[in-house]
Amino acid sequence: MTPNPKPDSDFPWWLVILAVTGAVLFWEVATSDVYGAALRTLAKGILVTVIVAVVAYLGACALGLGLAVMGLSRHLWLRQTARLYIEVMRGIPIIVLLLYVAFVLAPGLVWLVNQVAEPLGLPLWKTRDFPLIARAVIALMLAYSAFLAEIFRAGLQAVDKGQVEAGQALGLTGWQRFRHIVFPQAFRMILPPLGNDFVAMVKDSSLVSVLGVSDITQLAKVTAAGNFRYFETYNVAALLYLTMTIGLSLILRRIEARLRQRER
Amino acid sequence: MKTAAALLGQVLGLTLAFAPAAFAETLPDLAGREVVIVTENAYPPLQFLDASGAAVGWEYDAVAEIAKRLNITVKYENISWDAMIPAVSEGQYDLGMTGITIRDDRKEKVDFSDSYMTSEMVMLVRGDETRFADKAGFAANPELLMAAQPGTTPFYVGVYEVLDGNEANPRIKLFETFGATVEALKAGDVDLVLTDGTAGAGYVEASGGGLKIVGEKLGTEDFGFIFPKGSDLVAPFNAAIASLKADGTIDALNKKWFLDYKMGQ
Repeated sequence: MTPNPKPDSDFPWWLVILAVTGAVLFWEVATSDVYGAALRTLAKGILVTVIVAVVAYLGACALGLGLAVMGLSRHLWLRQTARLYIEVMRGIPIIVLLLYVAFVLAPGLVWLVNQVAEPLGLPLWKTRDFPLIARAVIALMLAYSAFLAEIFRAGLQAVDKGQVEAGQALGLTGWQRFRHIVFPQAFRMILPPLGNDFVAMVKDSSLVSVLGVSDITQLAKVTAAGNFRYFETYNVAALLYLTMTIGLSLILRRIEARLRQRER
Repeated sequence: MKTAAALLGQVLGLTLAFAPAAFAETLPDLAGREVVIVTENAYPPLQFLDASGAAVGWEYDAVAEIAKRLNITVKYENISWDAMIPAVSEGQYDLGMTGITIRDDRKEKVDFSDSYMTSEMVMLVRGDETRFADKAGFAANPELLMAAQPGTTPFYVGVYEVLDGNEANPRIKLFETFGATVEALKAGDVDLVLTDGTAGAGYVEASGGGLKIVGEKLGTEDFGFIFPKGSDLVAPFNAAIASLKADGTIDALNKKWFLDYKMGQ
């Protein structure tokens, strides 16, 4: 089979079908009593879902980039520390990580802070002052940082050695080489997988409902418990998530296309 | 002798008549202390979101009344049921409420208030179910399966009252949420789900003939509030619950939420 040379130039019929179905579904949902009530309640969770996904993702990017750089360090112990972290975090299910962070790490952090605060006479912290949404964000951040670190590492390693050597020949410092030569090229290569992980994060953010954070999924759970219509309520949740994930995918595709154009 | 007895009777009568008022006077005054209460809003009609998305229910009303009598300021937080007992047990919240059955194994983790409600389970089955009509009929046919959430009251009632007391009985299929158990029932994966009367009636109503309730009520469960171990709030709350029972507030709440309130409207 010869691959189609230009699949990107296909007219996006799937998008037309999806947009029409989506519009019909939203109309149906908005005009039905049961669906409409569920939509109005679940819509209140959109902001929480967005905040959780965006903040956790940005944190995971920063942490992941740091880990990737550590993993490529000259120092053995830095490389091994990064490796250890990545292997452990990648191997733990996010739902388990959420419970660890919420009920082991968070109280531990509070205890640590208080060890410092007490002798200084500062007001003591209580575990309950550590909001569940923050614990949920930290857990998602830790989990995704390991995946993102691997993406960053692949990107950084894919930059041609000659580029770094050219930078050295020009007398650029290590930081300058990273900032102006390696990172921009790596970034272009890893944008698609980074985007995919952001879409995955939007979906995985639904796990924070385990802690009772009022995101779309938790509101669906709670709404369904009160209206006794699980199927209909989760349909609305699916519609909201799909709208967000597909919208995101489209935006990401646009950005990728623009970056590719600039390359030429 | 006769007069003495009459006098005694009078005194007793007076004491009884004044009991609620006397109770109210002896309730502790907690001087506006803040009490952080955590709940999930997923247990109608105890606490749930109404059609407008507002958190309402029996327990909210009861706590509002208790707060007035004890002079406390209540602050609500939300957490899922899965995380509630650990969080309260660690003292992250002062009180947890979501129709929690008072059980000895839970008492190792948290302190319970006195019971404020007794719940009964009903047997929820598909509308066309003809193979059994009570718990004995269900237990007798090994082909029949039930669904439950692990560690919940319906699970224990299913194990100890309907089936043979074996918590690993393969006839019980475990699901993470209550909604999933009902969907499994509708889909034919299982044949029975236990739930309390209010929720059961709600599901039957919403199913349009797809579900029905059979048999007698099962397992009476006492619900209590949970507190961190050794909490000094247990005694005041018990006193307040007793005063709510004594003056008929609990009965009024039961009427309001179990009889008069129409779920899903």
